Amino acid sequence: MEAIWLYQFRLIVIGDSTVGKSCLIRRFTEGRFAQVSDPTVGVDFFSRLVEIEPGKRIKLQIWDTAGQERFRSITRAYYRNSVGGLLLFDITNRRSFQNVHEWLEETKVHVQPYQIVFVLVGHKCDLDTQRQVTRHEAEKLAAAYGMKYIETSARDAINVEKAFTDLTRDIYELVKRGDITIQEGWEGVKSGFVPNVVHSSEEVVKSERRCLC
Amino acid sequence: MSDKDDIETPVITEASSILEDGNCELAPNPESAEQSAKPEVNSEPVVFTRKRPESRPSIDLETSEVLPVEASQAAGKETVSKDVPQTGWGYWGSWGKSLLSSASATVATVGQGISNVIEKAETSLGIPSPSEISTEVKHATGETNAKDNANSSPMTGPFGVFSTISTAVQTTGRSVISGGLDALEFIGKKTMDVIAEGDPGFKRTKGLMNRNSTLSQVLREAKEKEELWTSNEVTVETDKKTHYGLLFDEFQGLSHLEALEMLSRESEMKVKSILNSLSGEELETLKHELEQLKEAFSLAEFCEEEEEEKEGDEDFTKEVTELFSQLHVSSKPEKLARARNNAYEWMSTSLGKPLEEKEEGEKQLETEKTEQISKNSIEDIHAFAIRSLAELTACSIELFHKTAALVLHGQKQEVTALERSRALSQMTIVLCKELSSLSKEFTTCLTTAGVNEKADILNPLITAVFLEASNSASYIQDAFQLLLPVLEISLIENKTELPEA
Repeated sequence: MEAIWLYQFRLIVIGDSTVGKSCLIRRFTEGRFAQVSDPTVGVDFFSRLVEIEPGKRIKLQIWDTAGQERFRSITRAYYRNSVGGLLLFDITNRRSFQNVHEWLEETKVHVQPYQIVFVLVGHKCDLDTQRQVTRHEAEKLAAAYGMKYIETSARDAINVEKAFTDLTRDIYELVKRGDITIQEGWEGVKSGFVPNVVHSSEEVVKSERRCLC
Repeated sequence: MSDKDDIETPVITEASSILEDGNCELAPNPESAEQSAKPEVNSEPVVFTRKRPESRPSIDLETSEVLPVEASQAAGKETVSKDVPQTGWGYWGSWGKSLLSSASATVATVGQGISNVIEKAETSLGIPSPSEISTEVKHATGETNAKDNANSSPMTGPFGVFSTISTAVQTTGRSVISGGLDALEFIGKKTMDVIAEGDPGFKRTKGLMNRNSTLSQVLREAKEKEELWTSNEVTVETDKKTHYGLLFDEFQGLSHLEALEMLSRESEMKVKSILNSLSGEELETLKHELEQLKEAFSLAEFCEEEEEEKEGDEDFTKEVTELFSQLHVSSKPEKLARARNNAYEWMSTSLGKPLEEKEEGEKQLETEKTEQISKNSIEDIHAFAIRSLAELTACSIELFHKTAALVLHGQKQEVTALERSRALSQMTIVLCKELSSLSKEFTTCLTTAGVNEKADILNPLITAVFLEASNSASYIQDAFQLLLPVLEISLIENKTELPEA
């Protein structure tokens, strides 16, 4: 992993227990599918660089939250410092889709005064035969909340890259336009470092002075 | 004083010195661009074109008379505790403890810079072979003079050497050199103060640099500085290999630490408010019980010397797993055990260095050794050692974080907070001992592989490994302390049957 990136975005991944949050993230960050995975305890952390334009890299810090209700008080604490989020449901589990609304309400309360750019993710799309949620209704729900909708599969590696990079691009555009700004005390977006650029006038002066050798 | 000139944030200093290297030094000495030199350049913006540490031993020797002055200055700031046995690195555990228990995580702030200076301390600890020092002195004398000129520093003689050392370290450095283990104690305890006082470059962050700053803040600072620095360097990939802070973050150690801090803070507030709401006998009973928890967290037995020099592979995994089962949390230390075993495997297979329990095979391996060692340069070993330490530490902190989450929000268990505290305390000791023996293994590898290297090349690498191991132990012990409020609130909740938050 390289240390050079333009921005660092913190993304949070939420949704009901067992919809496949950790598997999706591991597919994205580790490139493999973990058949068996223990329920996430509290919160887990992953990171990956994404190149959104040639030479322009964004570091994603991905917070994988526990879906289990008992950890909710922990995961809530993470909404505030996230700039983006993937809200997952399992297309074979109608209940997890019905809870999307609840998840959005919950984040709204705890993210104040900031905002999270969400994408709605219908996960496990490889299990199309067991589908309980149609693409159409999911798209409708997403549109109602101003979100994009995408269907993914960690097992078959479908749309995993796209889900993360599209969200990253959207956030990047908002940052470029100034709709999202870097703020002191907020970890959602941080400025990265550009290689071989002198960072302060002090430094210029200094290197010149010291270079009299 | 030349350090006035050099006063800037260390990162910038380092960065600019790199520029300087690039502009002034690299041209006439293309070989200085060799990546083997990188770890050194990293840690210290020395103007040398070759490996930097030539001057170090000479610092010791030349300044031995002058140092008392410096030392007394330092003493004004801080009384160094001298009760550490001067028995060398073999007693790593002992100084590790004193370092650590005093929130010495701060050492990381100075990062590589300080490791250069510590080297000096290390020299007096006997790690480098003293026979090589005389050779170095010759080098050093020449280098020192050259450097003084280059710096146009008013400082001459012994102090001139320092003017090129990362500024943050300068102040510390002088004090440090005054003596072996005391110096390490000193670094551990007072690095932050010294930096804050002696380096206005830290202005911006000074607010953070006090005892109230959290471990993760300090580490984050260090990491960000390293990032800033590496981003100024062309060969990022090479350099990053030895940046403990960056690696620690890459293994998500920083995030887990922050998460643990968050849980710890919340718990602490809850404990306080509950204590405030109680009175009379109820309060006294509770206080007494909390006191017992605190005792379990005091790590009193850490410095006991009953420890075996070396434990087998299985023992560590078994021990940690056993302790974990005593905690009755559903999390398992597999990741940690894997990281640890990978480190040993790397050493035994790719280096051909036999583990001690495989001594029978040593002779056979001996023949292959020379060949294999050439494949792994001392820089490779050093980089892998730093990486392993960072990984092991990150895994340990992740375990503590998960433990905290499960203690707070897991299913009710038939285990008391006190029992858990004791198991965790024991685990901290095991982890720190493991870091100690791992670092010893790595340095043995380094010594073996670097048998033909000059001490001034080898010693800084050895020192860096020991330093980061001690830092690692510090982080783990600090993280362990963060668990106290978590167990306190767990004790209170079990006792008073408060509903879980």
